[in-house]
Amino acid sequence: MTDSDQHPYVEWIAREAQRPVVTDQAARERIMMAVRAEPMPRRRTRVWRRVFEPRAFRLSPIATTLLAAGLVGIGVITGKVVNNRGVYPSVGEPKAPAVVQQPPVSPDTVVKFVFVAPQASKVSVVGDFNGWNATTTPMVRTANDSVWTVTLPLTTGRHVYSFVVDGSSWNADPHAPLAPDDGFGRPNSVRIVGRGSAL
Amino acid sequence: MNDDAADVQRVLAGDVDAYAALVDRYYDRCARFAVRMLGNRDDAEDALQVTFVRAYRALDRYQERDRFSAWLYRILVNQCRSIAARRAHREKVFVREEAVLLNAPDRSTSWTGEDEEFVQRVLNELDPLLREAFLLKYIEEMSYEEMSTLTGVGVSALKMRVKRACDRLRERWERIKHD
Repeated sequence: MTDSDQHPYVEWIAREAQRPVVTDQAARERIMMAVRAEPMPRRRTRVWRRVFEPRAFRLSPIATTLLAAGLVGIGVITGKVVNNRGVYPSVGEPKAPAVVQQPPVSPDTVVKFVFVAPQASKVSVVGDFNGWNATTTPMVRTANDSVWTVTLPLTTGRHVYSFVVDGSSWNADPHAPLAPDDGFGRPNSVRIVGRGSAL
Repeated sequence: MNDDAADVQRVLAGDVDAYAALVDRYYDRCARFAVRMLGNRDDAEDALQVTFVRAYRALDRYQERDRFSAWLYRILVNQCRSIAARRAHREKVFVREEAVLLNAPDRSTSWTGEDEEFVQRVLNELDPLLREAFLLKYIEEMSYEEMSTLTGVGVSALKMRVKRACDRLRERWERIKHD
């Protein structure tokens, strides 16, 4: 131990720990077996060494600032492009679920929506098929006077929807399963549309 | 060209057996560090196996201006850290009664398996980072600059770790004395 003022107990520990440990010759042989199973390392040519060797660059403060600004700019542009593509939705004001691009509608996948609302003056259906727009798909009051209906061509697959009464009250379809909470606190229903769905 | 550099050249020229000379030259020293650091021979053997195989794989990246031993030690220290971190959650070190030390009259010349086990347990009690610094400084007898190159930790931080390791050991001795 090099420090002369070291405590005798610490010195003793260090001295004892310096003693060699008993090693197993077989362990060395296992290492060499593993090494022989490896591909041969090869000396790199001068060109490859130049490519792989680490090197130091010297940059002036101005060059460093420009480089940093450039990197920030690239980051901002990349972020905008990614956000515009919808890969990472921005955090903030909650938005209605996006409309999913659907394959062409086949003529026989027609679905009839029915909702009972005797007191309503207007009812519409909103869902992933119309961009959750309450004015796009108004329902029609039937002769019964309390039943509102609309028939829509839908693509096959799963659709989430809701009924909007008088432009503000969102209601789930009592005859369809509820959709998982969409994070907006609105009750939505699910309808699975198969090929050739009847009304 | 030193022995290590010559052996590396031979390996890179296709003589795999030349690597055995490097393994023989450094195995015992590396084994001592690995056993003291990890506290048991099984983990130490695993660390050594991976270290020597990784060093072989990366031999084409070894720069002759570096010391082979320092380069190998860097791989070993990292490997020991990985193994220690992996097992940290599944193992607890149990501390033995201190009577062995208290009753020992003079241990400067004796060496028994019991002593080795006891010293190992004392080392195991140290925080791994303190233990690593203590071993590199007082068992491998490296300078702080060498330790810094090897661990990537600053000299002042390493000095602090070594001091704290020594303090812990001293405190341990005081506890034993007063119990």
